[in-house]
Amino acid sequence: MSRLAGRLYLAWCALFVLAPIVVVCAAALNGGRTMLFPPEDPTLERFVEFFVSDPVWTRALQRSILIAVASAAIATLIAWPTAYGLWRRDTKLSKLLAASMAMPFALPPIVFGVGLGFLWAFSGLIGTIPAGILSHAALHGALPLATISIGLQSIDRAHLDAAATMGATERTAFRTIVLPQTIPYTLSGFFFALVLSFNEFIVMFFVSASAYATVTLQIFNSLRNGFTPTMAVGAIVFILTSVAVFSLVARFGDLPRLMGADPSRR
Amino acid sequence: MSSGEPGPGAPQGDPADLRLWDVRKTFPGGAVAVESVDLRFPAGELTALLGPSGCGKTTLLRMIAGLESPSFGRIELGGEDITDLPAHKRRFGMVFQNFALFPHLTVAENVAYSLAIEGVAKPKRRARAEELLDLVQLPGYGARRIGELSGGQRQRVAIARALAQEPSVFLLDEPMSALDAKLREEMQVELRLLQQRLGITTVVVTHDQREAMTMADRIVVMSNGRAEQVGPPQEVYQRPANRFVAGFIGKANFLSGTADRGEVLLATGARLSVAPAANFRDGAPVQVACRPEWTFLASEPGANTLAGRVAFVRDIGQVREIHVETPAGPQVCELPFSSPARPRLGDAVHLFLPPELIRVFPAQDRAEAA
Amino acid sequence: MTAARPQASGGRRPGFGAVQALLGLVLAALCVAPFAIVLVVSFGQVVEGASWRWALSLENYLRFFVGLEWPASTSFLYLQKLWWTLVYAGLAAVIAVAFAFPFTWLTTRQSRRIQTVWLVFLLSSLSLSEVFVVMGWDVLLSNRSGLPMVFRETGLTDWLQSVGWFDTLRDWGMATPRNVRFKTSVFATVLTMSYLVFPYAVILLYPALSRLDPAMLEAARTMGARPFTVIRTVVLPAARLPLTGAALLLFVYLLGAYVVVSVFADPARQTLTITIYESVRGATLNAPFGAAQAVILLLTAGGFLLASLRLSRLAEAKA
Repeated sequence: MSRLAGRLYLAWCALFVLAPIVVVCAAALNGGRTMLFPPEDPTLERFVEFFVSDPVWTRALQRSILIAVASAAIATLIAWPTAYGLWRRDTKLSKLLAASMAMPFALPPIVFGVGLGFLWAFSGLIGTIPAGILSHAALHGALPLATISIGLQSIDRAHLDAAATMGATERTAFRTIVLPQTIPYTLSGFFFALVLSFNEFIVMFFVSASAYATVTLQIFNSLRNGFTPTMAVGAIVFILTSVAVFSLVARFGDLPRLMGADPSRR
Repeated sequence: MSSGEPGPGAPQGDPADLRLWDVRKTFPGGAVAVESVDLRFPAGELTALLGPSGCGKTTLLRMIAGLESPSFGRIELGGEDITDLPAHKRRFGMVFQNFALFPHLTVAENVAYSLAIEGVAKPKRRARAEELLDLVQLPGYGARRIGELSGGQRQRVAIARALAQEPSVFLLDEPMSALDAKLREEMQVELRLLQQRLGITTVVVTHDQREAMTMADRIVVMSNGRAEQVGPPQEVYQRPANRFVAGFIGKANFLSGTADRGEVLLATGARLSVAPAANFRDGAPVQVACRPEWTFLASEPGANTLAGRVAFVRDIGQVREIHVETPAGPQVCELPFSSPARPRLGDAVHLFLPPELIRVFPAQDRAEAA
Repeated sequence: MTAARPQASGGRRPGFGAVQALLGLVLAALCVAPFAIVLVVSFGQVVEGASWRWALSLENYLRFFVGLEWPASTSFLYLQKLWWTLVYAGLAAVIAVAFAFPFTWLTTRQSRRIQTVWLVFLLSSLSLSEVFVVMGWDVLLSNRSGLPMVFRETGLTDWLQSVGWFDTLRDWGMATPRNVRFKTSVFATVLTMSYLVFPYAVILLYPALSRLDPAMLEAARTMGARPFTVIRTVVLPAARLPLTGAALLLFVYLLGAYVVVSVFADPARQTLTITIYESVRGATLNAPFGAAQAVILLLTAGGFLLASLRLSRLAEAKA
């Protein structure tokens, strides 16, 4: 009885989570120019528009990908020394660095977005792609910082001692012991940052200053100026990207552990 | 040292010995792990650091390995000061408590790790790894993953890995603690045979006195950051230097009393004679220790006997333990299984403590006073 | 023979110090400076047109709390915005945690493999942009298709009218004379906000619940507790701190919600994020005032964030 109730509840939650996603996906099939559900006159024309023929969307997609990949790479690059410092040297400076890296992610992004808007305006970089990339790297650095820290904590410190007794300097131990064992966590952090950058809206809203649009910005514009089913295609692309990326993370890393489950239990 | 023998810190012995001079370790929080230790680890011998958990034995081992630097004192190997030499330059092979095998490397890569760091060519590394795996009786295991190995196999790999660099000193930190009881006994013998074959200076940290006695040429009994006694296993067992050692190595019955003209006057009024005579100031409070297997049943009261009543009997294989309640406190007497005496619960008995097997210590150890 | 030695230094490498110094500069410029700039600008003064100049004036804050015309007249317009910011976020956070708790609990009782599938599913929906979520619910809640249509077609609307609850809905502004209406309403805003953070709530509760020792639950079972009693008497008390902590974190996160509010909230009941946008980039163009609002949002969020950090420390100390 209670087992059945539990299953029903899980199913109901899954339905709740899926409902708007399904609706958006189905809306992409609309033949007309309005978003209707269920779709009328189903067609795949919108997909062609999104990926190939409509330059507004294809350019937005290219920018989104560029910003997501570049910012995730930079975020991971900055996160590594921060996480390593926190793990290896438990100093005030290390803690301060980690805290300042986590801050933008923890506080309301609109405040960070406003601040970045001022920062780039003062430095004359507002509305440029590099400014967008750096902004996202700063916003999402907390994610690789967290996953890499979890990865480093999973390394038995006796491994470093063992390496030292076998002649490894700190540098050698880092290369031969620490790095190989934390690769899954590094990749997970990179992908978390990538996916979130891909989906991020408000910070990009302020730092792009209408000079360019990413897919989320373009969708928001459409949302205000009347829906077009093409934007639903964007949503499908995003959902599929997320599922693919997190499945990869789950395949190559221990997702339950990354999310904080007790590693000793199976 | 509290033992009467010449201290191991005395300037003598083989020049290749590993020596500690007044080594101390205080952790940043102020906790004192090692108080002041002078020790000599003779070349080619196996020395066991034995003590209860928290006695400082592991910290001492880590200082020898160079993983921890002493707050004070000097470490020498072959007359050379190595106190400031970092672990990766000492390269003492070490086996860790949970083996610390690298999960991302194969067995062979683990074994050849130190050689890879040195830049030894790959074919040579592989050959050496095979050779070492043969040595620890794991031939053909090179390509396996660490996760596929059993506890005993992991230990063998850890040993092979530590020996790969042909270390001048071989260190083992509680090497048997991750193994089950039966395997532990086998590995103790095997490790000892291996060590003797290679003739390598070895230090083993353990809290298991049986393990220490099985493997060691010499035992260092530690407590509260100090070495309480140093000596061959039998000597430590037969002639414990103080009350702590007597209680920690094997079992002992303790009786309180005062010294009186070379004998001991118990609180109950009974007298115990001791041979040779105890060298204490008359009236000084002392503790008498006598091992259960050296405590005998006497048929009638006499010299050095205590009257009592049997409180509990247990047959445990080769011995029978008789727990006797006496006016001087509970005593245990171990009879060989073949002994015809079969006292039962509640029987009145007399315990005989042979003067030559009684040990007398000051009532308070320095360790206890601290 | 012996010499006093300094405490172990752990072999600090000078190279890493340089790395950390460089890192400090980068982080200061990218992560800390934006917040500092917002704070500084918030004391600035607006001048003719859309521009502003550096100043050390408190007029923006004064305007926020009592209005421009003070002391002649007072206006609590922006305090109302702050109030609605707190209300939406608070309601949605509590609702999300309330639904996520049984969900997470049931999930953690499954095998690792099934847990992983659920986690992939949740992470995917979690990373979904606010923009998409709003788009989906917008279709679902819109008057021409979606839920109102379902209400009418299934006869639910008629039923509501027959039992008289329809009038109540009309009083709440959630119905037109003919059918239910969800846009724009507090309901739609809170619903979509709780949807936004539901996966976050699960992820936040997951560690605490997945680490609960099954032996503890089995012990309760052997003492005669039924499954529901186990949850009430063992799981819930053990998870009280994580639950509160999660609700606080989600609350802070929702304080920054923008798209949801701009689409679903009644214009009279919008939040600070909307007015911040309007001041900085939108119609009103008063950057220093926008910055002042952002500072107040920041302080509010920071305060609650510190509280949740405290709470999680407390939880760790207890564990």
